[in-house]
Amino acid sequence: MHPAKSYAAIADPQTVATFRALVAAIVPNTPALAVYGAEQTAGAVDLHVDEYMIWELDHTLALMFGIELTIFPLSAPTAMLLNSGAVQFLASGQAQYAPNSSLWGTSPFAALAAADRIRVLAMLEQLNFDLGAVPPPYRDDGGFVVFIIDYLNRGTMFGFYSEWSAYGTTRLNTPTRRRLEYFPIGWRQVGYPGVSLGYRALRGFMLTIVREGGESIIV
Amino acid sequence: MYDQDADVIVIGSGGGGAVAAKELAEKGLKVLVLEAGPFYGNKKWENPNSERGGEWSSSYEDLDVGIYKKIYNSYENNMNDVVSGVFRFGPSDRRRAPWHRIMKQKGDIWQVSGVGGTTQHYWSQSPRAFPAAVDGIWPISYRELIPYYEKAEATLPVQFSPTTPKEELFYYGAKKAGWDLIPTLNVVTPGYRPNPNAILRANEHLMDPNYSMEQLHEMEGCTLRGHCVNGCTTGPTVDKIAKRSTLVSYIPLALKTGNVAIRPNSFTIKILTDHDPQGGLRATGVRFRDTWTGEIGELTAKAVVLAAGCIESPRLWLNSELPYNGWVGRGLTNHCFDWVGGVFDEKDLMSIMGLPAVYPYMGHTSGARVDIPGTGIFQVSCLSPGLMSFLTYGFSEAGYDALNPPEPGAPWNIHGRVVGPQLKELMLDYSRTMTMLLLTDDEVRYSNRVEVDPLLKDENGPIPLIHYTPSPKTLQRRDKLARYAAETLQAAGAKKIIRSDLPFAFLLHLESTMRMGFVVDTNCEAYQVKRLFIADNSVHFNGIGGPNPTLTTQALATRTADILANKYFDQPIVTA
Repeated sequence: MHPAKSYAAIADPQTVATFRALVAAIVPNTPALAVYGAEQTAGAVDLHVDEYMIWELDHTLALMFGIELTIFPLSAPTAMLLNSGAVQFLASGQAQYAPNSSLWGTSPFAALAAADRIRVLAMLEQLNFDLGAVPPPYRDDGGFVVFIIDYLNRGTMFGFYSEWSAYGTTRLNTPTRRRLEYFPIGWRQVGYPGVSLGYRALRGFMLTIVREGGESIIV
Repeated sequence: MYDQDADVIVIGSGGGGAVAAKELAEKGLKVLVLEAGPFYGNKKWENPNSERGGEWSSSYEDLDVGIYKKIYNSYENNMNDVVSGVFRFGPSDRRRAPWHRIMKQKGDIWQVSGVGGTTQHYWSQSPRAFPAAVDGIWPISYRELIPYYEKAEATLPVQFSPTTPKEELFYYGAKKAGWDLIPTLNVVTPGYRPNPNAILRANEHLMDPNYSMEQLHEMEGCTLRGHCVNGCTTGPTVDKIAKRSTLVSYIPLALKTGNVAIRPNSFTIKILTDHDPQGGLRATGVRFRDTWTGEIGELTAKAVVLAAGCIESPRLWLNSELPYNGWVGRGLTNHCFDWVGGVFDEKDLMSIMGLPAVYPYMGHTSGARVDIPGTGIFQVSCLSPGLMSFLTYGFSEAGYDALNPPEPGAPWNIHGRVVGPQLKELMLDYSRTMTMLLLTDDEVRYSNRVEVDPLLKDENGPIPLIHYTPSPKTLQRRDKLARYAAETLQAAGAKKIIRSDLPFAFLLHLESTMRMGFVVDTNCEAYQVKRLFIADNSVHFNGIGGPNPTLTTQALATRTADILANKYFDQPIVTA
């Protein structure tokens, strides 16, 4: 796996911009929710969940290539898939908002409004686009596209609402070297008290199995 | 001492393999267990995710609860991330990528390598099969299984779940929706009951403020800490941990016999065979690969028990070039899951329970259920926020709710993924949300399968390719369950109901890829390879009607050990 500290720096700007746009569309920064507490505004970009998704996609696929086990990083081709999807989406006249032209050169997907980015994901998962125009390993492999689009949604949510971001400065280390640096913001947002040794939450027993002398009865 | 490495080699140490090893060793047979993943909680592997450590463990004294608790830290991402988690299907070395399986559809495979296998993160549900899904359908009867169910239930042990707030709310809704209590282990009529779970009874001092939570956590008995899925740590020793994964139940018992040696970090890549003088093929041993060094080893035995799980067992058969059988890897069932949740108002919860929240993080991960023979099950199942968010709002066959809202009159307000500001608003209600897992009585289809890719390989050989599409009948039953679950939530007063419509290929309860009567006989011995027995979910004839499959696998593995020892080692059958 990649050395920890340099990892964030090696992703190309297009991939980073695309993943920031992806996670922001799924878990946005929400100033309006500040009425429920200041911590409620933080969204996935604030918690670096784009880095989580890039790390996950770059560490998930290892196959034999010749006689060597080889890692095939998936973040860059996945970003290209989203960008190709954005171009085809806009070309087909489906966009409901004008794209941000200043971002178009870096990432067409990021240039779209958040709601349109979700429509791109829906178009891709319905395989409603030219599958020959996307990069390998997605080219002409609709099954893999469908799998990965679904993963992008749940992966972003798991990155955001789990403790991952609280690994702080160690978040891009290999897993045995990650250390929690603070209480996870996603957990604070939802009122989860964190890892517990136990709860005095017993409210009785509906039924009990009693085993005596090789027999079991239900009381 | 004997002219072979062992009497029996067991491949895999999960829900079935650990049981077979313990049962065979208690009969005096010498057993070697090969496990592809790590051994957590063992002095031979103090840093199992970053250093190779030892090779074999054969002593109960090797078990170390300190090492176990250090690794099982219950943090949901650390434990359950499918790429880098402690509980993933991959090598022990967490710097490395997981072992890949190809799935060309939406979904995910929730399986775990390591001693204890997927029981490390299972929710401990241990119901028996529905008798109606076995009798007249399986090549053996339900009655034949009962003594083995009883033995496994007493060994784990299995107990009905305690009531915590979420179970109380579930019972309240289930009763109002018209379901009756069914106080039984043999379910023949529909109704609700606590889950029969392989979890030690709640600590008798739990509600006594004179005991601190730190003390209670080091004592015997469940503390309702709600981390079943993220790894239980309550208990004074490895073999007294409250949640009874086979890592803490059957494995310590196996080691106590003095007849078992376990080798983790060892991926079996071939089943070795020769021709019996009386004709026919027989299993003689295995070839395995050390996952740290890449070194290849071979072991021989008089019999082999294959318990690598519903994906790896057929993969190993195919990669070993064992005789062609058109049912190897076929007939995959998956309970075609769904997930339905309800959001409650504080005042309604106060009037039902006198509490302002559901407290989804308290108690067993899943503690109560409604069983409906012929249709399936829905069970209250609540998770920590990362897992809960993606299962409830991020994982769907149906696409995005906002782009394709439920049809008018549907019993749910939200159908499919929720993203954007609406997701955050719903997650604000996490502690007042009750979610349920739905398990469908899944029809067996020949086209649902595990095969190996003709081109792609990892270091262990050609990799599995999995395909699962439910039948129309399975989908009808799943829809019926979703409606029942929604009605129960509505009866309890839920203000908003969410149907996730989970992807069909969310693969949790894989069964019947090496079906009894097709690949193995009624003894669970392969028709085409003598002395090769199978002891995982793959020998199930069907999806057992929907109940969680682990206990049935454990009962069958107990029976298989009896039969194997009797047939090849002249040991009397004692259980039946």
